[in-house]
Amino acid sequence: MPLLELRNVIKKYRVGKEIVTALDGVNLSLEAGEFVAILGTSGSGKTTLLNVAAGLEKPTRGEVVFRNVTLNKLKEWQKVIFRRKQMGFIFQSYNLIPSLTAEENVALPLLFDNVPPWERMRRAAAVLAQMGLKDRRKHKPTEMSGGQQQRVAIARAIVHQPRIIFADELTGNLDSRTTHDIMLSLQATVKKQGQTLLMVTHDRDVANYADRIIFMVDGKIVSEEQGRK
Amino acid sequence: MVRVYQAHSYPGESEESKQRKLTDEAIAEIKSIEGVLAVSPAYEVGGEAKLGNKTGYLQIIGIDAATMELMDFDVDYGRMLNTSDQYNVVAGSRVIDNFYDPRQQPDRVKEWEEGDPLELLDKRVSVTLMNQRQQKRIYSLNVVGILSAKSLEYAWSVFAPIKEVKKMRDFSLQGMQGGQAFPPGKEIAVPELPRELPSKGDDQYSFALVRAQDVSYAKYISQELRDRGFNATSMADNLDGIEHVARQMQAVLGGIGAITLLVAAIGITNTMIMSIYERTREIAIMKVVGASFADIRTLFLAESSLIGIIGGTLGIGLSYFLSYLLNKYVGAMMFSGMEGENMFQISLIPPWLILFALIFSMGIGLISGLYPANRAIKLDPIDAMRNG
Ligand SMILES: Nc1ncnc2c1ncn2[C@@H]1O[C@H](COP(=O)(O)OP(=O)(O)OP(=O)(O)O)[C@@H](O)[C@H]1O
Ligand SMILES: [Mg+2]
Repeated sequence: MPLLELRNVIKKYRVGKEIVTALDGVNLSLEAGEFVAILGTSGSGKTTLLNVAAGLEKPTRGEVVFRNVTLNKLKEWQKVIFRRKQMGFIFQSYNLIPSLTAEENVALPLLFDNVPPWERMRRAAAVLAQMGLKDRRKHKPTEMSGGQQQRVAIARAIVHQPRIIFADELTGNLDSRTTHDIMLSLQATVKKQGQTLLMVTHDRDVANYADRIIFMVDGKIVSEEQGRK
Repeated sequence: MVRVYQAHSYPGESEESKQRKLTDEAIAEIKSIEGVLAVSPAYEVGGEAKLGNKTGYLQIIGIDAATMELMDFDVDYGRMLNTSDQYNVVAGSRVIDNFYDPRQQPDRVKEWEEGDPLELLDKRVSVTLMNQRQQKRIYSLNVVGILSAKSLEYAWSVFAPIKEVKKMRDFSLQGMQGGQAFPPGKEIAVPELPRELPSKGDDQYSFALVRAQDVSYAKYISQELRDRGFNATSMADNLDGIEHVARQMQAVLGGIGAITLLVAAIGITNTMIMSIYERTREIAIMKVVGASFADIRTLFLAESSLIGIIGGTLGIGLSYFLSYLLNKYVGAMMFSGMEGENMFQISLIPPWLILFALIFSMGIGLISGLYPANRAIKLDPIDAMRNG
């Protein structure tokens, strides 16, 4: 039984009088522990697919089923619980909170899950160490490089040990060397913990770290390949 | 203290509306009213006075020396009157200000300056009375005590034994016809309404001082006295008027306060909405990493309450400061002449008001935060993220 399934998902946006079809009948199935990359050109609907799959946006038509629960039929507060307990998110622009230290940013999902402070800090420190940022714990985002910030963002995405991690262009702002380092450590982490990773990218090299590569064109899935790294 | 004045009545008036005369029977009756601690009849005369080289004017009140202590009179220097005193007097703390030296600065208007009350103690003051027949009589009074500076009401009066003051008054009334105290030559003014004023033989006191057992009785006693036909007033009656003015002032200040509060609340709301704009992205991030509606709401309401509490604290601080200034300067001005270490409290902030103000300002903050918090909740994280 798949962990996450998209069944004939259609997503349309209305912009003024025009209707834009961002997803045009997408069928996708992710098994637990899989690392899947969505590859496509700009505007092909990758981000939209990710947001719909994570329940952040509602599909216009079709179903999103996560562990036997139809996400698109849940109330907002129910989806919040899914996000808080079982999902992690990584974005291209890191999206760290500037006024908080690395450690506090990482501990944020635990805060909303009412984990006691000492436990939050202990776990945040452990995950930051795992991402190679042991001595950056007390730094603010602006005091760190882009690569370091993205590592903090990854730490935040995995600190609560989610079942699935959604990543949107996570290496978009990084150079190739840093991209390689980060992809290797992310790959190692999800494999070790048996987590599922759905990653969106337009970079063929980055997609190659995945088990499966899915090609998107104009809101449709056109083909699929095995990753090579 | 309640004061009962002598009767002023007019011949045309009906019997019931006539005021009661202050006779010895009346004094005895007043004494029997519930809550009355002490009563003293009083005569009042005034005349030109000399103290050494200084001249001035004295208002002399004759009272029953035995009741002085009960009347709450108190001396700062010297002693009180006793029943064996004759031409001994006790002077109010500011009586000395009535005297000036005519040889000094003859053509300049006398500047008001505070004299030393001790200048009067153990001195002889001679008072010159003149009656309607142009006869003169000079009385020599010996000052044996100075009243406490705390009593303002009688600070400009001199107290003497009633027997002597009655003699002085009787002398000064000699030659009055129909009791009218017009200066010679103007006696025949308004003959239609000859007032039945106390004249010689009309055995009525000038006024009577009545002391209540405690303040709460004062109003009752003055009402009771009026009901019995006496011409009574008390400070407690004046307090009613003062209270009325104070209430009106409170209403005006309250209105200003309410408007200020509304403006402040709008200010907080505006601040919060601005801060939501500024933190759209952070709110979105928090939502994505699992913050519930309740979490976001709590966050913003906590912030707006905190703004309220900080504002309230600053307001309380400022109020204390203004209240201090008010008491120190305005209060001191209003009560100048009264020396005393304790400041006069025109403005008083009770402790419960501080607690109330804090809770209230927190409540205002909380209410002001409701709308912004709701907006933060409705914010769509995806929109917010895409804009980044
Ligand atoms: N909120 C929106 N309102 C209107 N149109 C939208 C909205 N979001 C996306 N679209 C449209 O949907 C299509 C797919 O957008 P999407 O962001 O998913 O592309 P993408 O593959 O992620 O592109 P990129 O690689 O540039 O990030 C685009 O044509 C875009 O204009
Ligand atoms: Mg995109």
